[in-house]
Amino acid sequence: MELDLFIRYGPALLSGFGVTILCWLVGSIGGLVLGFLLACLYRFGPKALGWLIYIYVEIIRGTPFMIQLFILYYGGPYVGLVLSPMQAGILSFIIYGSPYFSEIFRSGFNAIPKGQIEAARCVGLSERRILMRIILPQMLVPTTAPLTNFFIILTKETAILSVVTVPELLYETQTMAAETFTFVEPFLVLSLFYWVLVIGTSWVGERVEARVTRHLRRV
Amino acid sequence: MGDNLTDQPIIQVRNMSKYFDEFEALRDVTLDVHRSEVLCLIGPSGSGKSTLLRCLNFLEAYDGGEVLLEGELIGWKSAGASPRKALSGEALRRQRQHIGMVFQQFNLWPHLTALENVAEALIHVKGLGKKQAHEKARAALAKVNLSDKEKNYPANLSGGQQQRVAIARAIAMEPSVMLFDEPTSALDPELVGEVLSVMKEMANEGMTMVVVTHEMGFAAHVADRVAFLDSGRLVTCVPPAEIFGQVPEDPRVRAFLQTYRERNVV
Amino acid sequence: MNFSFEVIWHNLPYLLAAARWTLLISLGGMAISLVWGIFLCAGRISRGSVIRSLARLYISFFRGVPLLVQLLMFYYMLPYVGLDLPAIAAAILAVGMCSAAYTAEILRGALQTIPAGQTEAAQALGIPTLSLWRRILVPQAIRIGLPSLVNELILLVKVSSLASVVGIGELTRISQNITGETYRPLEIFIAAAVIYFLINLVISGLGRLAEKRLEVG
Repeated sequence: MELDLFIRYGPALLSGFGVTILCWLVGSIGGLVLGFLLACLYRFGPKALGWLIYIYVEIIRGTPFMIQLFILYYGGPYVGLVLSPMQAGILSFIIYGSPYFSEIFRSGFNAIPKGQIEAARCVGLSERRILMRIILPQMLVPTTAPLTNFFIILTKETAILSVVTVPELLYETQTMAAETFTFVEPFLVLSLFYWVLVIGTSWVGERVEARVTRHLRRV
Repeated sequence: MGDNLTDQPIIQVRNMSKYFDEFEALRDVTLDVHRSEVLCLIGPSGSGKSTLLRCLNFLEAYDGGEVLLEGELIGWKSAGASPRKALSGEALRRQRQHIGMVFQQFNLWPHLTALENVAEALIHVKGLGKKQAHEKARAALAKVNLSDKEKNYPANLSGGQQQRVAIARAIAMEPSVMLFDEPTSALDPELVGEVLSVMKEMANEGMTMVVVTHEMGFAAHVADRVAFLDSGRLVTCVPPAEIFGQVPEDPRVRAFLQTYRERNVV
Repeated sequence: MNFSFEVIWHNLPYLLAAARWTLLISLGGMAISLVWGIFLCAGRISRGSVIRSLARLYISFFRGVPLLVQLLMFYYMLPYVGLDLPAIAAAILAVGMCSAAYTAEILRGALQTIPAGQTEAAQALGIPTLSLWRRILVPQAIRIGLPSLVNELILLVKVSSLASVVGIGELTRISQNITGETYRPLEIFIAAAVIYFLINLVISGLGRLAEKRLEVG
């Protein structure tokens, strides 16, 4: 293994890692928020809207991310939506993740006993307050683990952004591999970076979980 | 009790009916509850007593007739319209603030401490500051003898303690009426007493209470009147002595009480 | 170049034949994912600290290493320990073992909402641990986690395309091959996307159906 390779390509790899983290964080948190809104509208909104959301979820969830990205990036200009690779990447990431997040939250709704919501209505709490204060905190008990799962899955999906030339980690790694005719080193580094991201995400997930389940512990 | 009768009743139920699809759960119920009165609803299971109670604060939407709280129609915009239109969420919330409710299954919010359970509505419904709300919540917890448990989560409270927190949560809102839906049915026998004694104390302080219960001792000794329901109909509503003190005239009441007598409950 | 349905129609038999491999890998992977996921979940919350650590390590490895690498490991490294699997078996195993890590976490999250009293009640009745899991815990965990599990199964169908790297002619691989011959990527890939979409639609439809059936209250 040649160490000077890393000295030469280190800055590019690190910048690629930075771009990956940026796209991943903005995209997945955006998807999380959009997914939460979709799940709430599905649950509490009018029935017709529920059907629209259902169709949206099935279509976006059922088709590959790469195709969605292509449609947005190459098809967007036909309807006047000209996006930079990075903008298209992040936007399609938000759209791609939202149905999965929405379904995870929907499973959370199923876990709250009806009586608690009745009790909240009886003391006059508003529906919004009930959602944010009674339902959401408890919804996080069964959903933190699947949410962590999906954040982890999304770390790896960022690699697909390289196909529209977003200068993220895989893109930089491929550049390095092509220019230096090496294969093992660049992809070892790539795996290491993803591994760091996955370990970090699991760690955060476990902290969040400990926080949201603390009321379940018996003393 | 004679004085109370001259006042306007705090709750008036007029010819109320309730259907679950085809099933007639309540038929033509008419009933008054007076200020500071304790009214117990008894009857066989499935007779509609819990449904009646849940109609009083519109947890169940009654179909026909009226429920009035201090003269104000509960739940519906007007009794005359057909089909009836329900009140807006905001208006319903305002009405419900005056009606406290305690459930069989406590329904505490498990992710909040005892104090937070009580303070939640004080802050976000009454609009009190956190400090003031906590003060008030502590006072309510003291009333149910749970001052030392304010930091506990429900999972770390006994059933009786949980139910007392639920009572504190309701009384902290200073409602004009309290509804109890079989408040002791989910409790171990040795924990029933602590909840009943809190309720007795509330009755002595003049709280208006409507109680669905299987505790015939409570009905006999604390209630001002006892209403007996059977198959969705109000059979009788009389002072407890007329039901428990002598052999009731109505055969359905007699049969119902017989099952309790056999177990030496009364 | 106009969009040509003829190209799709002409190649549809090949695509559908390839979709059979996609289905086989997906269904096999799902079976492993669900069964092995339940055991992993049990290990993850077991009282024995060795088992717990092993399960954690497993989950952290299979979630952390890219699936492509795992697949190559199963295919090229298992023969060294005397386990020479056909490509299709290696693919099913890799996809299923990886997905099980995610399934285990979904089930673990769902189990946390089941009151401890239920386990205590079962233990008090003398119900053995195995039946406790089989009859009481797992059905409830699946009910609560169902939408998340369907998510995972749909992702599994999508990653089955990786099996092409060990030479299996599944849907993505065959689409690429046909594209190479016909130079009609748009038509072929749209057709492939529709086939993936239909498979996923069936899965999520079954999921919704199961959700309705299992609903309580």
